[in-house]
Amino acid sequence: MSAPRCPAHGLVTDRRRLLLGLGLGAAAAAACPAGAASLAGNEAADAPESADANAAVSFYGRRQAGIVTPRPAAGMIASFDTLARTPEEVERLFRLLTERFAFLAAGGPVPELDPKLPPLDSGILGPVVPPDRLTMTLSLGASFFEDRPWAAQLKPARLSRMTKFANDALDADLCHGDLSVQICANTPDATIHALRDLIKQAPDLLLIRWKQEGTVPILPPRPDGRTESARNFLGFRDGSANPDSRDEPLMERVVWTRGGENGEPAWTTGGSYQAVRIIRNFVERWDRTPLGEQERIMGRLKASGAPMTGTDEADLPDYAGDPDGALTPLDAHIRLANPRTPGSEASLMLRRPFNYSNGVTKNGQLDQGLLFIAYQADLEAAFVAVQKRLDGEPLEEYVKPVGGGYFFTLPGVEAPGDYLGRPLLEAASA
Amino acid sequence: MPKLTLRGAAALALLAAAPGPASANVSPLDIVQPVADYKIYVSEKLDQLVTDTKAFTDAVKAGDVETAKRLFPSTRMSYEAVEPIAELFSDLDASIDSRADDHEKAEEDPGFIGFHRIEYGLFSKNSAEGLGPVADKLMADVTDLQSRIENLVLPPEKVVGGAAALMEEVAATKISGEENRYSRTDLWDFQANFDGSRKIFDLVRPLIQTDDAAFVAKVDASFDTVDETLAKYREGDGFKLYEALTDDDRRVLAANVNTLAEDLSTLRGKLGLD
Repeated sequence: MSAPRCPAHGLVTDRRRLLLGLGLGAAAAAACPAGAASLAGNEAADAPESADANAAVSFYGRRQAGIVTPRPAAGMIASFDTLARTPEEVERLFRLLTERFAFLAAGGPVPELDPKLPPLDSGILGPVVPPDRLTMTLSLGASFFEDRPWAAQLKPARLSRMTKFANDALDADLCHGDLSVQICANTPDATIHALRDLIKQAPDLLLIRWKQEGTVPILPPRPDGRTESARNFLGFRDGSANPDSRDEPLMERVVWTRGGENGEPAWTTGGSYQAVRIIRNFVERWDRTPLGEQERIMGRLKASGAPMTGTDEADLPDYAGDPDGALTPLDAHIRLANPRTPGSEASLMLRRPFNYSNGVTKNGQLDQGLLFIAYQADLEAAFVAVQKRLDGEPLEEYVKPVGGGYFFTLPGVEAPGDYLGRPLLEAASA
Repeated sequence: MPKLTLRGAAALALLAAAPGPASANVSPLDIVQPVADYKIYVSEKLDQLVTDTKAFTDAVKAGDVETAKRLFPSTRMSYEAVEPIAELFSDLDASIDSRADDHEKAEEDPGFIGFHRIEYGLFSKNSAEGLGPVADKLMADVTDLQSRIENLVLPPEKVVGGAAALMEEVAATKISGEENRYSRTDLWDFQANFDGSRKIFDLVRPLIQTDDAAFVAKVDASFDTVDETLAKYREGDGFKLYEALTDDDRRVLAANVNTLAEDLSTLRGKLGLD
């Protein structure tokens, strides 16, 4: 229940006022001594507030939102199978998803129905849904194409069913899917609200297979205004070597697929390959590992995120001056992942991961890890090539991939009236 | 904020298959006949349940494991068809139909009795040993249920709500094949649950057929899809084991259960019931 609020914060709840037997003025005065307008004046169970809940990320664009969009604090991947089989059914699915994504990203009032009926919306964000920087990103798995004869010939050239790498212990219940929806927002509640919306709106089209939620630690702004990469649950900065998502020409090369090139069907222009991995971290063991060893395994200094050969996170590692790995071991995670040799820029990708914490394993250890999400123009040249280089790395003692899948993120929707997947369906009917 | 009627909101794609307003054309008196007819249906199912449970428990007590195994799935069907009504008596539902996971010590828990305790003995241990008292208790409970329901005035909202409640049960606790985990005879239960739900829908159909023909057609199509899917697994006078269900057909059943649960959740409102 809401408490009486300071005038600066908004309304006083009628019910509360009635319960207290107070008028508006008296309630406000009681709750707000001397013009206090901070959280400190609120009641224990009052909702935390953030003006950023009103901020919206546009759903519309040549590319889908949620890829080069700055990563908010909460993220989720939900994998679904779909019963839509014919092009007509798939179009109905895509149009419905487009309509829901656009509404949820913009926010707004939920239509009211007769109270004798179940409400249209879960209501967990209230009668007026705040946008909360929500993005929803639709991607298709290999099975979507392979199980539909009309779509098989249109499968993106590098899309395949994820196969096991050496250190993987894949749980079939956490892998693959006909499609994935990445949902990101300022708060986990907004992502959960969006997921429940899809499940309520498309029961005849979508069956959820698995989902994984995650978060990113929020930092106070630095006095010098510089930003830094967020830390993962190993305590290391993750994303230091990411290509700059604001650099459009770079993203053009690294992230966005170009139809008609490299054997890609024409419809794929403006799409991207999404690699998802649920990577458990053995955090108790990691926390019992000497700091120096942690840093040699990762190839970075834990506090600053700087490479072993530098002092600042932004410094580039100097492997040429360290050919034998005296400073950065040759099998350090970042050195294997990106050796910075001629040609290795072909394996660049844009990583956008979240940390997850699920509960306790039956062995009594924390079930935590990384919801790894990466986007790239060429899945094989990027994620798959990098992961192969990482096979056998010392970090494997502390991590165990258990799920995920490969998906192809559809091109964006530029304006209302259009819908996700139209280029694919038009190619199918051509 | 203005209240939308379904027709007024036709532009919203999300509402295309969603509920209309609670129907103003259905008066409380209109519900009387369907509820009375449903009471007869429930009585018939309970008569059948008592008869079948007698034969089933007799076989258990006689140590005739093969006969008891054969009678187990068909005996349950009349219970499953009217489960929302049977569940109005939570003490009996617990003793008749609880599962091992409802009990702290699971299969070994002395409180684990009823159909599934007997199922565990027959199918997991291939034995009726020690099941005599459980069989007696089941027979007594089923007879008790019959007499209690005989004297019960069925609340219309429970009757109409039962159509969706059956689908919610399947969606939440059955579709994975966990109900009859020892016998794997879940498809029998599915059929009974769907039949019971469709019976309720059929009884109220005349009240909404005219005003909400699209809704009626959509629900009918879902039920038809379920029936056609389950029919692929018919064998003799029953069904194949749950394992025979293909992933594709399980998905079809699951999606239709979810769709029926969504659609039938509006049935009370459409009939003006709170």
